[in-house]
Parts: sequence; C-alpha cells; structure tokens
Amino acid sequence: MSRELLDRVHAVIKSAETRGAQGVRAAIGRNRNSRVEWLDGKLDRLRESTTMNLSVTLYVDGRYSASSTSDLRPEAIEDFLDDIVSSTRLLAEDPHRRLPDPSRYADPFEGDLGQYDPNGAASLTGIERRRMAAALEEGTRSSEGADRIISVKASVSDNLYETVMAASNGMEGTNQGTSFSMFVRATVNDEGDRKQMDYWYDACLLRDKAVKPESVGQKALRRALAKVGARPRPAGEYDCIIENNVAERALGGLLQPLYGGAIQQQQSFLADKMGEQVISPMLTMLDQPHVVGGFGSARYDGEGMATRPMPIFEEGVLKNFYLDTYYASKLEMEATTGSSTNLILAPGSRDLDALLQTMGTGILITGFVGGNSNPTTGDFSIGVEGQWVENGRLVHPISEMNLSGNHLQSWKQLAELGNDPFLISDVRCPSFRFTGLQFSGA
Amino acid sequence: MRLVMNRRDFLALSGAGAACAAAASLPVWGTGCNASTSGEHQTYFDQFGVGSSLMRRILDKGLSRGGDFSEIFLQHKITHWTGMQDNQVDRAYSQVELGAGIRVLKGEATGFAYCEDLSEMALLQAAETAAAVADASVEARVQPLLAGDITSRYPVAIPWSEIGTDQKLPLLTQANDAARGVDDRIVRVTIYLGDETSHVLLANSEGRLVEDDQPMTIMYLTCVAMDGQKIETASEVTSSRDGLGFFTPSRLTQLGQVAAGDAIEMFSAVPPPIGEHPVVLAAGTSGILLHEAIGHGMEADFNRIGTSIYSDMIDKKVAHEDVTIIDDGTNGRLRGSLNVDDEGVEAQKTVLVENGILRSYLHDRISSKHYGVAPTGSGRRQSFRYPPNPRMRNTYMLGAQTPPEEIIASVEKGIYAEKFANGEVRIGAGDFTFYLTQGRMIENGKLTNLVKDANLIGNGPKVLENIDMVGSDMTMYSGGGNCGKDGQFVPVGFGLPTVRAGSISIGGRNA
Repeated sequence: MSRELLDRVHAVIKSAETRGAQGVRAAIGRNRNSRVEWLDGKLDRLRESTTMNLSVTLYVDGRYSASSTSDLRPEAIEDFLDDIVSSTRLLAEDPHRRLPDPSRYADPFEGDLGQYDPNGAASLTGIERRRMAAALEEGTRSSEGADRIISVKASVSDNLYETVMAASNGMEGTNQGTSFSMFVRATVNDEGDRKQMDYWYDACLLRDKAVKPESVGQKALRRALAKVGARPRPAGEYDCIIENNVAERALGGLLQPLYGGAIQQQQSFLADKMGEQVISPMLTMLDQPHVVGGFGSARYDGEGMATRPMPIFEEGVLKNFYLDTYYASKLEMEATTGSSTNLILAPGSRDLDALLQTMGTGILITGFVGGNSNPTTGDFSIGVEGQWVENGRLVHPISEMNLSGNHLQSWKQLAELGNDPFLISDVRCPSFRFTGLQFSGA
Repeated sequence: MRLVMNRRDFLALSGAGAACAAAASLPVWGTGCNASTSGEHQTYFDQFGVGSSLMRRILDKGLSRGGDFSEIFLQHKITHWTGMQDNQVDRAYSQVELGAGIRVLKGEATGFAYCEDLSEMALLQAAETAAAVADASVEARVQPLLAGDITSRYPVAIPWSEIGTDQKLPLLTQANDAARGVDDRIVRVTIYLGDETSHVLLANSEGRLVEDDQPMTIMYLTCVAMDGQKIETASEVTSSRDGLGFFTPSRLTQLGQVAAGDAIEMFSAVPPPIGEHPVVLAAGTSGILLHEAIGHGMEADFNRIGTSIYSDMIDKKVAHEDVTIIDDGTNGRLRGSLNVDDEGVEAQKTVLVENGILRSYLHDRISSKHYGVAPTGSGRRQSFRYPPNPRMRNTYMLGAQTPPEEIIASVEKGIYAEKFANGEVRIGAGDFTFYLTQGRMIENGKLTNLVKDANLIGNGPKVLENIDMVGSDMTMYSGGGNCGKDGQFVPVGFGLPTVRAGSISIGGRNA
C-alpha cells in the first residue's frame, strides 16, 4: 500500500515541478478511527471515520507556501496545484526558505519502533469495543465510593494510520502505526450543589500493552472522590509536588521558548542562555525519537530530516534548541529539528510517597486549570487542583488556587524528581518536588 | 472546557417535485434553483456528485437498522493563512476540506461516521456504519427533502476563495506599518491574516434541507518591544463573518497601533497583588467571564446527565437583579453568529439569566427532546468530522444604568481587568479561571499602574452572585474567540458592560 501512496506523492511532486516549483515536499496520510462512547449504562455514541489527506510544501522562485487538501479527485488535485503554485509566486522572496540539505535525510533509524500492531490495536470489532466500554463503566461503579456517582462516561478508541512523504531533492519515507485508548470520566456529588469530576485513561500503540479496563474506571472514580470538599488555602509560599501525569503541563512553559520561531522573533526568555545552567541541576531531559512504543517516536521529522537523539537540558544546562531549516538559517545556526519527539526525563530514585514524606507540609498538585505562560518573560500563572499535605499525609483537597512565578526562578527550586515517569505520553515526566513556590488562594 | 481567544447563501431544493424556495435577496452561489436534466434540483454539492436522490439513499441507509432519525452534513471549506514577519509577506498556508458527516439517532444514542471521499460507495458505507447505533431491520421512512428558507446575516460580495493573495498583501503591510510607526522600540511584528469560505449542506430524514455559506476572517498581530535588556510582547486580534471590506484602513491602523502601544506600555507594568482582591471587569473582552462562569454550565448536555452545577437551578435566583445574560446567534457578523445551527435550526436568541433568574439551557436536538422543549438553535460542530453538541454562540450581559467610572470609583483597592488570553471551567464544581494579560491597579477609586500575566480563579456561581454593579457600557469583544469542548473548537463571541465582580483570587509573579 505504501508503494501506491508513494507513487501518488511522486506524481504530485512532478506535477508541481512542471508548474515551475523548484523544491517540493509532499505527503499523504490515511487514517481509520473507531470509537465507542458509553454513558451511564448505555451506548451513547458510535464514531467511525476514514480519511485521506494530501499536503504539499512549495519553494517557487525563492518563495514558500504549505497547503493541504482532502479533495483527492484527480482533476481537483490539478486545480489545487495550479492555485497554490500561482499564489506562492505572489509572495515576497525569502532567501532562508529551502528544502533541508539532502545529507539530513541520510541514515534514518532502521530498527522497529513498535508503532504498528498488525493484529491487535486496530482490529477490534464493534461488539468488542462495546464490551470494553461497558467494562470501563462497571469498573467505576463497582469501586469504593460508587454511591456518590452522578454520571460515568467511558470510551474505547482505536486508530490505524499510514503516512508517506517524499521531497524533490531525494527524501522518501513511510510510516504505519496503530493506537488504542480507553477513557473514563466520573462525576460525583460534593457538598451542596457542587459536583466533582475527574478522569483517567490508558493508551498504547500495541494492544497487549493495555491495562485492564476496570482499573481505569477505578482510578477515575478515586480521582473524582479525592476532590470532594475541596477548598482554597491562604495565599503563601509553599513546598509542592507536581504529580507525574500532569507534570507535562508545568514543563510546557519551559519548552515553548526553545523553538526557532520564538527565538528569532525575540519572544524567548531562553534565547541567550545556550550552554548556561538555567534550571536546577536535578533536571536532565533528552529528546529521544527512537523509543520502542513511544508515542512521539519517528524516523524522520516534519521536514523529512532523519531523527537523532538530542539532549535538551543536561543537569540544568541548556544544550539544544528546536530549529527547523528556515529558522536555523535566519539565526545562522545549524538546523536540529523543528519538533519534539519523545521527551525523556532522567528519573529520581524514590516514589511519590517518599517525595511526600520529604516535603512534609505543602501542596500535592494533581491537576492544572487554565492559566498561561509568557514565553518572552517566563512569567506564568496557572490554576491548580490537588491536596493539602501535612507530615507527608493528604489532609484535604484544594481548589481555587493559583501557582505563579517565573520559569527561570521556579525551575531552580526543583529539588527532586520521582522514579515514576508517566509512560502514557510522549513527555515522560516523573513527579516533581519543588521547594518554596508562590501560591495564591483564599 | 477551554476557551482560546485567538483564534454560508443557500439554494433551496426539494425532492420528488416539491416547490423550490430560494431567498432572492442574497448574493448566492450560482442561482436560486437550477433544474438538472434529470429533474432534480441542484445544490452546491452536485458538483461533487452528491445530488438529492443520493442524499435520500444515504438517509434511507442510515435508518435501515431502526434508527429514529438520520442526517447528512456536507461541507466544503477553503481556508487561507497569509503571514508577514520581519517586514515581508513571505508565507502562505491553505487547506481544502471536503467531506460528509452522517448521523443516526436512536433514542438519545448517536451513530456517527464521516468520510472525505464523496463517492456513493463511501457515503453509503458511512451511513451503514452510523446506522449500527440501532439493531433492528426495518423499512426506511425518509421524508421528501424540502428546502429551508433562511435569511443571511453575513453575505459577502466576493467569497474569500475568489480573492487572490495579491489583494491580501496590502492589508498586512498597512497593519505592519501602523505598528512599527508607533515607537522605535517595536523590534518585531508578526501578522497572520486568516480567511475561510465554508459551504455547508444539511439534509435529514424529516425532509429538512438547508444550505449556508459561512465566511470568516481574522487578523492576528503581535508586537515585540525592546528597551535595553527588557523585552515585552502584546497582541491584538480582530475577526468577523465578513469579506475583504471588513479590513478598512482605520481598522488595520488601529490593530497595529493598539498592539504596539500595549507592548510599549508593558515596560511600566508592576506585579499584580496576589490573593483575593476586588475585581472590576472592563467592558468587552471580560465577557469571557460569562462564557466560563455560566455559559458552559448552561449547555444542556451537562444538565441532562446531572453533571453541571446548574442542573437543578432553572427558575432560581443566581445573580443580582441587574444581571441579564443572553446567548445569541443573531448578532450580525460576530464570530458566533449563524444563519442556521449545524442541525438546521434557525439561529435564535436565548435568555439564560433574566434579571438574576436562571431561565433556559442551551439545547441541541437530543437535549430538547429530553427536556420536551423547543431547540434553541445551539447545536454546533467544528466541521463535518464531528457530531453536534449544545454550544454557545455570542454570550453577553445586557448593560444597566451605572456609569462605568462610578464602578471604578467605588473600589478602594483592587484590579481593573482589561485584556484576557484564555479561560477554563470545571462544569460540576463551577470553578473557573481566566488569564489576564493586561489590566490596571485600582487605588483609591482611580486607575493607576499597569499589571500583567495573572490568572484569576474563582467559582462561577459565587462570582455571578457577587456582581453587584452593572455598567451602562455593554461592549462586544471584536477579537477571535474559539471555544473548545469535547475535542471540538467553534468560533464564539462574548461581551460585557463594566461590572464590579466582588473579590476574585489573583495569582501573579512576586507579589
């Protein structure tokens, strides 16, 4: 199948070249997705889709555009190419726009990345999906505290995709993958009119890696019940732990300023910090594209460049930016890659309980609500949910509180990482323990 | 539920020889009613091989396993983005989306399938998939398709799909010049002009058929200002369901000048005070409060399953008697305005809170049947790839009598909140946040220092109860609101007069 799609991509490249494009990259993605959603003991939604999409990046007389279409009738593709080549010619020339150097396509990773499950993840029958969704709900309703349940929503989803990419200067790549996921959202009665809602999920690329559905429901209910009676604490400086499954959100504000566009446009508080110790020496983070079964694993990036492991922070020292061909040229730097793959954080040696004991008194953050981060200055302010902790024990849930600070200062307060990297994500964060961060509240 | 503030003319048709009813007052695509040689009436989607007889076969197939209702939603959408950076309009992005979403209802359960291949085989296969929400074998009973007659709120003289890049270039250049002309300390300006031309058609087993052309345009402008080692940024957005004429010279100049002026002003910002402080919400952008604090909780799907904090609150007092809140699809060219919703129901104005009393939820087809009430025209979807849900359109509070300056003067020490970036709400608990990018301190009843980058967090029902002064200056936000729910984003609008909102918890750096 990939060969047929590759032939179509090459035909598109040739057509664009015939119209005057000097450089062309084209890709076709094909996807099939099925999902069953279960609500309070009944089938709520069945969803299925089949899609195919063509994307074309053009370099015409020093000018650049990127376009996509799902109208793949042969005559429509011809009209599409006419349109995008002629409108690209109307733009300003930009000497930094070009396809990657062909040397960057060489030696892609050859091993099995564990992305495709030939018999499992995407071959469930409709009846199997319904049974699993029902089991997710059953697991929720048979757990302790189920008498508080108002509503349970559960879903089971599986996906099969295939992508091919080629460029006019010699790149060619194919990729095929599967994924499977389960999700439960539980809503429980709190005090008065308040209701508390939380969710849990499991996802994997190979279905035999999936956990039992019942355990997903149990965890969703446990998390919702844990919020019952939530109230804010007074504003102040507190030690805190960020639970592994939400730690990725905290890391986001540190990653955004690492991208070439932010750096070149002077919207990055890390732009002039290369090689410097900018955060706690506790943090070492590697962009690793070749993790077997990794959600972000890839042999080539969005420009077709062969992926390579890349250190981002080593013991707190900034080692690399995310630079695509365009912004690397503008910054007169070497291109790395324009997008992250799997982010692997070097874990600590102790579990969450041990981190709680060491913290003693403070806040365990189990969720973030809204908030934002300014990539230019590093200032951030984010709503938090979680637990007030005393002597290492959870005392009561908290809500209506904000965590605020500046990334350059706050990440220096990182005191310890847990041994519990969260594996259901392309960002494998363990729990983080910080000292003395600023919280607002009642 | 998250909200991010950044980012259809019709033909009438009938099946089986019924009369054609087109609205003659609109600049429609094609002409009002074209009869083909086969005797079928034409729609926009005939050019893709989807005629009314095929639509009926698809709807029949949808009901073939005992479904109560079937529907096909066809969409052809062309989106362009034209970008300017470092004084050059040097990048363009475009996307063509073509596809069909087929929905079958059985009771309150939904079967939904979509495909991007509009061949008869693919469409019938999708209908069969959606039909599986029911499990009987019955004779279909689709009604003859009869064209709906709607009024367009947002006709455009020339669709964006026919406007060349050459006509867009001067718009970006003018906004860029305006921003850079404000101050030498403006060192970077990035501008994106987005435009959409979306043709949609909805046909259902009850015989409803309606088409709409839905234009949209948006311009984002971000300025970076540098003063010594200090760097600050500020952005402005303007958006409308309109054509090229929306971007008047004065609008473009204002966009650039406001963003640049704000970036320069940021140099003088002081850290916001943290903890609970009285907050006055400025008119306009602060309408995000209504969206997060009450709007989502009024969406009937959450109330149908009892998970919203407003589940049992209809006809109860929830706010000061000066507070009347509307969700409205009929506001001309605002982002949340519609001619018909995505279930084919004509746009309406829905009173959510009337003089402090909760009056109505926002309904789609499923919830209106559940509650035994008329639909409110709130069934919306991001595209043909999604089934519809109850969603907000333009949500606003009506103005009252108090002059805005009197409201500011009434606060001894607090925050005057002017510009926001995003918000989020917990539907069940009612806790919500919204992120303040720019505001001012209120000290002794006067606006003083600029404050920035603070998250405001509170409980929606409590904040609503605490609004005790409502200004006379209701203003709609003219930027680009996008509301996310259930994995779908739809454009929305909101508005607010100046209000005093009691104390809200403020988080910010170093206070």
